[in-house]
Amino acid sequence: MYLNVSFKPAFTLIAGLSLMLFFSWGDTFAAEKDTMNAKLSLPSETKGWTWDGKDETFNNQTIFKYIDGAGELYLAYGFRGLTVRRFEGPGKPLLVAEIYEMGSSEDAYGVFTFERQEEEADVGQGSEFGGGLLRFWKGVYFVSVYGEGEGAEMDSAVLELGKRIAESIKVPGSKPALLGFLPDKTFGLDTANMYFFRSHVLLNQRFFVAHQNILQLGRDVEAVLGPYDREGKRMHLVLVRYPSNKRAQDAFQTFVRAYMPEAAASGSVKTEDGKWTRIRAYGEFLAIVFGALTEAEAEKLLAVTGTNLKGKTR
Amino acid sequence: MKDHLVITRRDFLRGAAGALAGAAFGSGFPSTSGAQEKTRVVLIRNADVVSAAGAVRADVVQSMLDEAVKALLGASGSADAWGKLFKKSDVVGVKSNSWNRMPTPKELENAIRRRLLDVGIDEKNISIDDRGVLSNPVFAKSTALVNARPLRTHHWSGVGTCLKNYIMFVPDPWAYHDEGCSPLGKIWSLPMVKGKTRLNMLSALTPQFWGRGAHFFDRRYVWQYKGLIVGTDPVSVDAVGAELLKKKRIAFFGEDRALDVAPIHIVAADKTYHLGVSDLSRIELIKLGWQDDVLL
Repeated sequence: MYLNVSFKPAFTLIAGLSLMLFFSWGDTFAAEKDTMNAKLSLPSETKGWTWDGKDETFNNQTIFKYIDGAGELYLAYGFRGLTVRRFEGPGKPLLVAEIYEMGSSEDAYGVFTFERQEEEADVGQGSEFGGGLLRFWKGVYFVSVYGEGEGAEMDSAVLELGKRIAESIKVPGSKPALLGFLPDKTFGLDTANMYFFRSHVLLNQRFFVAHQNILQLGRDVEAVLGPYDREGKRMHLVLVRYPSNKRAQDAFQTFVRAYMPEAAASGSVKTEDGKWTRIRAYGEFLAIVFGALTEAEAEKLLAVTGTNLKGKTR
Repeated sequence: MKDHLVITRRDFLRGAAGALAGAAFGSGFPSTSGAQEKTRVVLIRNADVVSAAGAVRADVVQSMLDEAVKALLGASGSADAWGKLFKKSDVVGVKSNSWNRMPTPKELENAIRRRLLDVGIDEKNISIDDRGVLSNPVFAKSTALVNARPLRTHHWSGVGTCLKNYIMFVPDPWAYHDEGCSPLGKIWSLPMVKGKTRLNMLSALTPQFWGRGAHFFDRRYVWQYKGLIVGTDPVSVDAVGAELLKKKRIAFFGEDRALDVAPIHIVAADKTYHLGVSDLSRIELIKLGWQDDVLL
């Protein structure tokens, strides 16, 4: 029974990963604690709602209390701190703004896009609004604003508050550069469903590869997942950048050994669904195509990726 | 050679692991009772328990709970039923859920407390708690537990149900989130928990059947189902709850829209930790009360 054999190592892995995240950022946060509000001049009122005067703040040790044990998503993106600001109005439901300071603008982009599903709302550098919830990213911040009631007045207040918070973030950020190395829409890239991540647990939530961390992802690694639609079929390209060529080579080996041991020499295998998986290393980068209809199609995506990476490798 | 113990996408493609995950909860409830041993779960609904504005009627919740526990144990009355589960000398922790967007209804907590008091348990030996259970003296010396939480989808475990509700019994909940929270079953073997849970219940008064992200409540995916799901087997209760949410997603979206993760921890609790029965064909579901749009 596969469940029996797979839990122990995977459990150890995630526990280790979580503890590593938990402790490695503790000192950093201590130094930066209380600086978020100094960096940002958050609004104190919006459209009839007024700040209740009390900000709640959370760090990487207390975020679990606020997010019902689900803080790993933020920790996996270099979470540094959270400020929760509530707004009240006479006879009005509560308005709540959550401002997450992430490890980098790429991380802020990553946590935003990881859960994106609604239409763009033109707030910050990327946003969505639906079901009374506004989510956006700008600079190193990921922000969510929601109202505990519903209706046009509440929706308007949520959007207005979001825009004002976005205005208070003066320094914009960059999207992950890796996204620019993916073969573009002319190859069928579904840009609405690209993801940036550093954790294999998050990769698996969007595209399952393996329970274990066979690509050796981690906080010092960047990765993107690009879905491609070709002839009505979907394939995926995972592109990873490691801190060094050696790390990339090590990950190449662990991936091939676990995923395609019969293809160590060719780097290409026809999997059990009749589709193709193909891997290639480019310096500190690894690119893997999953689910190509033909080997040639997999090679084509890798070749274009290689062209895009020219001059970018160490 | 492939590394041992590594489960990859290819294992699912070839069907070995996929069959288990895909057919997680079997092929549906049995149409009639068979010879094979079954667990029992009671689903009770009442059209009047929640108003259109969302107010919960405490008297109706009490009545639903009483009927459910009575049917579950095949007892002649509510007092008889609760008397089969608890004794006067018990020290009882009621593990609730305080997530601010969808907590265990106070009306349900109070209904449980009422019946524990009726058994004759001293008030000081009853405590209702969620995030403070590890430091709660009643839970520390508890001889019995009641597990009561709302039914909803969950970012890390697929569904937030009874098995997941015990995650606050460990100091490092994040360590249980891998593989769709499959290690959750391990918590049930801890001394503070093991063998103590007498009742498991999911509040399906207003469940959330779909959602995204780590902590997001979305009113578009919450509906007034007006039910309680009650059993002694947490795995069976959870399997029924997960099936209900799945049926609602199919009714709402026209398909079983994928959750962030599949709720495989329920199957793991059965197959790996032997905490109960996850196969719907081995669960006797007793449906009481209001049957409109029951889905199950």
